[in-house]
Amino acid sequence: MSDPLKTLIAACRSGEQPYQALVERVPYARFLGIGIEARGEELTFVLQKADSNLGNPTLPALHGGALAGFMEQAALIFLLLEMGEPRLPKTIDFTIDYLRAGLFRDTFAECRVTRLGRRVGNVNIEAWQTRRDEPIAIARAHFLLSEDSSQS
Amino acid sequence: MTSESTPKYTPLDICRRFVTSVRHSAELGIEVTDASEQRVRALMPWQEKLVGNPDTGVLHGGAVFAFLDQVGGLAVVTRIYPEFEITPTIDFRLDHLRAPGKGKNLIGIAECYRLSEHVAFVRLSAFEEGQEDEPVTTGLATYMRMKIPSENQFRKSKA
Repeated sequence: MSDPLKTLIAACRSGEQPYQALVERVPYARFLGIGIEARGEELTFVLQKADSNLGNPTLPALHGGALAGFMEQAALIFLLLEMGEPRLPKTIDFTIDYLRAGLFRDTFAECRVTRLGRRVGNVNIEAWQTRRDEPIAIARAHFLLSEDSSQS
Repeated sequence: MTSESTPKYTPLDICRRFVTSVRHSAELGIEVTDASEQRVRALMPWQEKLVGNPDTGVLHGGAVFAFLDQVGGLAVVTRIYPEFEITPTIDFRLDHLRAPGKGKNLIGIAECYRLSEHVAFVRLSAFEEGQEDEPVTTGLATYMRMKIPSENQFRKSKA
């Protein structure tokens, strides 16, 4: 993992930098329009309502792929901040269940690390729009945690 | 537009019209190259805005996901054609076997290998363009079949 990223993570943790800086460094996260709302260290990820994330234009509905990408990116940032000594997570697999239609409005996501091992991290992600207890999708992903991105 | 004057569309025409109408897929730059009842093949160009790791230029797993979700949906569309149905994704799993190289366009292939009364089962893979024997990503998905009651919503919406 690059030193600038390690420095940035430390700065986010100490409050010198907003968590949003972790979104801004990733082109795809900027493209989707991801925001982070923090209450202390509790993070809620936000996918702002945007035309560019529309799927079915007649409903109109959020594109399932944009939703999945948002949830994967949320898990990546969440995992980075959970590790005492951050290592670069690489997605091994990503599995999503779509439970309700995603409408043309803001979408929220929260993550939970189910298991953080030495080599692999397992993260669960829930996304909702109107009510937290009515998720529109749930996902889980495994991430490979490599010591140094230059070695892979 | 009456049904008599409507030209017969090929599966490829249908796929291309579909992708054009889906804003996010247009943003991804998806171009359908082949489409038949058995299989759909499409290309997603490497783009700076789709990068997940700014240090290496590797595409974000989410961008690959969104690409293959679209190609999988098209595989269901061509399998059902000339009927039209709304087919929301039920679940979707991707395995990232290796990272695609910086600047490499991706080819996505989807095949609807089972169409039951209510559910379509699809397998997917993605390759770097020109390296079609070495998948970077493989996946499985299921889609719900929702019959459209009136005769032909797809053409109607374009009329």
